[in-house]
Amino acid sequence: MTDRVEGVAKNEATAMVQRGINRRDFLKLAGAGLAGASLLGVAGCGGGGGQGGNGGPVEVTFATTPDPTGTFQKLIDQFNKENEGKIEVKYQQAPPDSSQFFDQLRTEFQAGSARINVFEGDVTWPAQFAAPGYVADLSDRFTQEERQKFLEGPVQSNIYEGAPFGVPWRTDAGFLYYRKDLLDEAGLEPPKTWDELKQTAQAVQQSAGTKFGYVFQGADYEGGVVNGLEYIWNAGGDVLDPSDPNKVVIDNPGAVDGLSIERSMVEDGIAPKAVSTFKEDESTAAFLNGDSVFLRNWPYVYAQAADPEASKVKQEQIGIAPLPSVSGEESASGLGGWNLMLNAASEDPVQDASYELIKFMTAPERQRTLAIEGSYLPILQELYDDQEVVDAVPVIALGKEAIQNTKPRPVSPYYSDMSLRMAEQFNASLDGETPPEQAVATLQEALTEIVKQGQA
Amino acid sequence: MTTTPTRKKRGTLRAEFGSPERRTAYYMILPALLIILIVAFYPIGYSIYLSFFKATIGNTGNFVGLQNYADMLTNSNFRTGLSNTIIFTVVSVFFEFVIGLAIALAINRAFRGRGLVRAAILVPWAFPTVISAVMWRLMFQDQIGIIQYVASALGVVSEPILADPTLLLLGAILVDVWKTTPFMALLLLAGLQTIPGDVYEAARVDGASVVQRFFRITLPLLKPAILVALLFRTLDAFRIYDLFWVMSSRELESLSTFVYKAVRVSQLNFSVGNAAAVFIFVTAFLIAMFFIKVLGMQTSTEE
Amino acid sequence: MAAASASRSSRGSGLNLALFYVFLIVFVLVSVAPLLWVFKMSIITKSELFASPPTILPRTPTAASYATIFGDPAFQKALINSTIIAGTTTIICLFFGSIAAYAIARLRFRFKSIVMTLILAISFFPPVAIIAPLFIQFRTFGIIDTYLAAIVPDVVFALPLTIWILVSFFKELPRDLEEAAKVDGATTIQAFRKVIVPLAAPGVFTTAILTFIFAWNEFLFANTFLFDADTQPVTVAIPNFATVYTVDYGAQAAAAVMVTMPLVILVLIFQRRIVSGLTAGAVKG
Repeated sequence: MTDRVEGVAKNEATAMVQRGINRRDFLKLAGAGLAGASLLGVAGCGGGGGQGGNGGPVEVTFATTPDPTGTFQKLIDQFNKENEGKIEVKYQQAPPDSSQFFDQLRTEFQAGSARINVFEGDVTWPAQFAAPGYVADLSDRFTQEERQKFLEGPVQSNIYEGAPFGVPWRTDAGFLYYRKDLLDEAGLEPPKTWDELKQTAQAVQQSAGTKFGYVFQGADYEGGVVNGLEYIWNAGGDVLDPSDPNKVVIDNPGAVDGLSIERSMVEDGIAPKAVSTFKEDESTAAFLNGDSVFLRNWPYVYAQAADPEASKVKQEQIGIAPLPSVSGEESASGLGGWNLMLNAASEDPVQDASYELIKFMTAPERQRTLAIEGSYLPILQELYDDQEVVDAVPVIALGKEAIQNTKPRPVSPYYSDMSLRMAEQFNASLDGETPPEQAVATLQEALTEIVKQGQA
Repeated sequence: MTTTPTRKKRGTLRAEFGSPERRTAYYMILPALLIILIVAFYPIGYSIYLSFFKATIGNTGNFVGLQNYADMLTNSNFRTGLSNTIIFTVVSVFFEFVIGLAIALAINRAFRGRGLVRAAILVPWAFPTVISAVMWRLMFQDQIGIIQYVASALGVVSEPILADPTLLLLGAILVDVWKTTPFMALLLLAGLQTIPGDVYEAARVDGASVVQRFFRITLPLLKPAILVALLFRTLDAFRIYDLFWVMSSRELESLSTFVYKAVRVSQLNFSVGNAAAVFIFVTAFLIAMFFIKVLGMQTSTEE
Repeated sequence: MAAASASRSSRGSGLNLALFYVFLIVFVLVSVAPLLWVFKMSIITKSELFASPPTILPRTPTAASYATIFGDPAFQKALINSTIIAGTTTIICLFFGSIAAYAIARLRFRFKSIVMTLILAISFFPPVAIIAPLFIQFRTFGIIDTYLAAIVPDVVFALPLTIWILVSFFKELPRDLEEAAKVDGATTIQAFRKVIVPLAAPGVFTTAILTFIFAWNEFLFANTFLFDADTQPVTVAIPNFATVYTVDYGAQAAAAVMVTMPLVILVLIFQRRIVSGLTAGAVKG
């Protein structure tokens, strides 16, 4: 080895003795490294959306959370075909975790990015994106008259300071699923109040030996907030004053009752202790595995029960009812679902083209396709009386009452901050770490602070 | 010696950059340093600057002095995150070191099946953290988790593991020990294999026992490798983020998850989160200084 | 050498040897068991996945989960993306890292400790904290959604590791050879290239593997700067085997197995070289 070095050294570098590294050598090395890096880097540069130059179609990038049914892609293909030469929609799949999608979008919008032009957003997003001006005001496009055709709750979720910032395109509502077969066997009716639910659950657990009475989503996350809110609403409580959204009213007896009822589900042995770690998936798994009499969840569960691979419980064994309340009177379900919104940073032709896509996606025929082929709940009133839709998606008829009595979560530009605190406190109360009274008092203070900071 | 300080300084600087060997050294270091300065130090500096303002994410806001740090210290989530992070770091690094050293010592020899063992020690470490977190969460789960099932059957736990903050933290430590002990073993093994065999040979001839050889030869000679491995693991554990985030589905607070929530999820806590980020940076820096100054970790070769 | 002398000492009693192997078997099992469990999860049906009590051996083996991931072109694309991102990161890190490490290990200069401190400081900083400023910087350079957006921060955060390990490798190499080369008239860079690089190759290789795995597994930056599925690596793609409410654990498990495979293969092929490379630090002659 030494010989080789000696040879090389003698031939090449006698003149360089003791001069150390020579600039040319160094630049050569560095250059080689950078060239390699940039080659690979450039290979990854994709097109960044925007207008397709002179006369080409306008390019629109559309982002949604994953759609396992493939219906979105199908509709986009149809749209591209109908608008060939004019508009070209690129579909972009976002992360399934909606809060992650939200963070990504917000990071992009802060940087003024117009990469994504139109996107679906959770019902809690419009206020949060509208306040800093990230999404376009749709007052001129989504008119009062247009809004009449849509379900009330989903439309409301798009209104911030009187103006619409999104168009609903699929909705969700919390349902009470129950084991119809087991209730029938025991000769019991689906419960109207929480007390009835407990009694029914206990009776069925004893007669049929079911492991749990009731499962829902109690983990420290957004779904836990919706569940907690439903308990609070259906006990007569609320978070913000309906007439003054800047007034926090969560420290009230209704809210305490609501959280106490939620906690009592665990204390009375109706729900497993682990329910405070359950998200949609865990609770669904318990119910579809035949381990629970009742389940609070979104409409998608019903379709899953049709798959014997995924479910031991068959669809005909399942019934759907509105959530119980304290009084037994009409109850509210947490509103879920997704709205379509326009990035305010998109340039003009792109923005118009993006709205074309929104109009297309929310038109009755597409809503019907979404319902029939993708089991997505439509947001147009008329489809709830459409026999073809109701036949194809029985959950629409079964859950009609709940779907029409939804209540949005607090509308605030700082909802994500409120949600973090509510998730944490609701979860601590459900775990038994914090008494409901204390959780509610903590929240009263924390949410007031958030509202105050938000106004400053 | 009678020159003024400035002239003396200029003189040394000229000597520093005039020497070919030294100039070479700077050229060689420059590229790495430049990348680091541009991509990391600018944002770091910016974060420190912002930590003195009531900043929101897009907006610098008013100068508030140390108010953000005061708010941070009174924030209960920050405190939980701090104590969880400290417990996690101390306990997991301790076990990783002890087990890692044992493994490194054991496999630093010729035996049948070395290949299998080496592959086995690399597998957990090679596993993406996000995936291992999902996978362990599934194993800890109340209904389908094998660990929960076995632990309940043995009567070790009565609570669902994922619902109990203490058990969750223990679980996270377990996962981290499983996942990064191999890394520790790998670094220590590398150190062990640079210890020449004849040193042991000589000691054996002198009649030193196994224990004596371990404490008098292995440990001192291994000290540089140990300190490097410990420092890296300590700092990694101190910044723990994805394991907590995914495995506990955000219930378990660490300093980094606190920062992430404040900076990325919240719209109002940005300035407090930013202060916490600076806090992590400074604390980590102090930890490193402790290793270098107090424990005598070598950072240069000046003999 | 160390290995040879150690093996001599291990020629103790049969009982010792037996204990040693018991230790090894336990250790290997503990290390590998979770991977085997994931493999099992990847080949069973959904209902078996959620069966309680859990089955130990797969009752109903199926390749459905693998069909799911390989039927998804996005997954294949993600594997390629991961390879490109991790590979490039490794090359850049080794290139800049090894020359910097050489200077730190061998050459004398005044500001060495400042330089080392600066480099080390990177490993102190919480990546979450620089995401927002970095995003704005990257946006300005227009590299969001390109491989570079992941490669650049990966390089920065992997460099301290690379430099550290290489410095310790380089320090173990004997000085005589370079000195000899220099006496013979080689420049520093020639001494580095012709003497140190070949000698250190095994150590560099080990470092390469560590860096590659680091970059392969990186999640936060990729997740923040790559929104486009065309450039997303597997760590971002795998959690996407999910819809808003349901997670396809089977597909995730299958993907996890597939993602770990390249690394396991890497280790199986090169393990001998890694270890012999490490022991080659002490050179004859």
